Amino acid sequence: MEKFAFDDQAGFLNKLKQLIDSGVSAKKISVFMPYHVHGVEEVLELHQSGVRFFALFGALLGTIAGFAFTIFTVYHWPIITSGKPLISIPPFIIIAFATTILIGSLITFGGFLILSALPSPKNIVSTEEYGNQFVILVE
Amino acid sequence: MKTNQKDYFLQLEKDVLAAMEKPTRAYWIALGISGTLLLIWALLWAYQIKEGLYVTGINNPVGWGIYLTNFVFWVGIAHSGTLISAVLFLFRAKFRNAFNRTAEAMTLFAIMVAGLFPIIHLGRPWKFYWLLPYPNQRLLWTNFKSPLEWDVFAVSTYFIVSLVFFYVGLVPDLAVVRKYTSGIRKKIYSILSLGWTGSLKQWLHYNKLYLFLAAFATPLVISVHSVVSWDFAMSVTPGWHTTIFAPYFVSGAIFSGTAMVMTLVIPMRKILKLEKYITVDKFEGIAKVMLFTSLIVTYAYLVEYGIAVYSGNIFETSIFKYRAVGDYATIYWIMILCNSIIPLSLFVKKLRRNLVYLFVVSIFVNIGMWSERFNIIISSLSREFEPYAWGLYHPSFVEVGIFIGSFGMFFTFFLLFLKLLPVLSMSEIKEEVY
Repeated sequence: MEKFAFDDQAGFLNKLKQLIDSGVSAKKISVFMPYHVHGVEEVLELHQSGVRFFALFGALLGTIAGFAFTIFTVYHWPIITSGKPLISIPPFIIIAFATTILIGSLITFGGFLILSALPSPKNIVSTEEYGNQFVILVE
Repeated sequence: MKTNQKDYFLQLEKDVLAAMEKPTRAYWIALGISGTLLLIWALLWAYQIKEGLYVTGINNPVGWGIYLTNFVFWVGIAHSGTLISAVLFLFRAKFRNAFNRTAEAMTLFAIMVAGLFPIIHLGRPWKFYWLLPYPNQRLLWTNFKSPLEWDVFAVSTYFIVSLVFFYVGLVPDLAVVRKYTSGIRKKIYSILSLGWTGSLKQWLHYNKLYLFLAAFATPLVISVHSVVSWDFAMSVTPGWHTTIFAPYFVSGAIFSGTAMVMTLVIPMRKILKLEKYITVDKFEGIAKVMLFTSLIVTYAYLVEYGIAVYSGNIFETSIFKYRAVGDYATIYWIMILCNSIIPLSLFVKKLRRNLVYLFVVSIFVNIGMWSERFNIIISSLSREFEPYAWGLYHPSFVEVGIFIGSFGMFFTFFLLFLKLLPVLSMSEIKEEVY
């Protein structure tokens, strides 16, 4: 395992490009950064994060759940309130709107945890701290 | 590139971590005062629960006193947190980085305080869970056609999403704190930072997550206070039953929230010595948002009168006349002075960049926005349709004490936050500078 550590972003990016150009496979490279350096994913030719699918799924699930729940409850024990029809779409939209955002953001958060393998017990117990260095590890 | 990147990062971490070190005497005094107020709050509420709601000034016709005023006030305060952290993030407004952590914390604490007020207002607060839809022996469900039920959904969603957003923003910074602490504190921060290593994979997913959470939270800025406004607008009470209520409340919420951010951050910056990161330019950005929303609020005040006069509706016209010259006229004119007139001075660039001045204005705006909610709620209820059923309302000492105590609760949480969590978003500042 080879380790390259840099104190600045420019040197780190150059080295990374150099490694890729010299034919090292992107799969063998791991990178650690104090903040997200934009452009790294282009150099390593990574795919977009899959978190977006979780966001879409969560939001759709939330909308459906909001409408399904409100409609189910008014049928479960039908009581006419305020002389309005049992299924009154405008007020239910407000509930469904809230559940869309609630379930959408919770599932997106869950998706992030799954995809980035967090919480990671191994790293909670002890982790190698790279601090503010930009680190490239090559297997 | 500015100075040496490594040195700058180290300095930033040192400065932010220094704020979390052993509290000074001033901190203990502040915590003591807030803690005392919090205690008063708890004792008074206990007293009210024991005695019943008769210890308040609430009466018939004014069934919503300052508890509901406080609810709307604190929910409004909460709004700028999401505005600054989510909306300004999507707009890539760089001045947000200095404020976002504080503003998000403020949002959380303000919703916690706000959420308690409708419960305090209940005669039997221990039955608050009846507001939630759950399967029960009586086979009854909540009434989803009621604006009060929308509120339950809107406010609890707002709290949970803000909490997730706040926590997600903290994760990389908690990993930095983990590095500098030892013993039990290190263990706690290690667990809270979830084993964050800063690998590329984590950052990629993290950035997408942050973007999506911002996108999810943005509609909440508009929806939550709209729903709160519908608590009023859905009724037929004169002065409440208008369609402009939602935008009027939302802009008012952002207005009061930016004011509270300044009230908190101007002293915090000085006490924690963060002048280097929270620069005057950034305050000017917030001051502009405040000025802009002040203009919208003023416009809404005028439009309300326009609607009342144009409608020809005798009840609408008389309630608006009553607000300006009736029993609560003082509160009304305080509102106009604090929300519409004083903020106009922020058109002067020199004043906008004077932090002492901004602090003073922010206090006025806080007062003005509380008065606005008082004015809307109390004046309309005390003069509804039937002169026979008119009545006045004066808050009792219990209500006033609980109101003041709610500031104690808010500031206690905030002071604890200052010492337990990093107050600036370090990873975002690092990214912004380089």
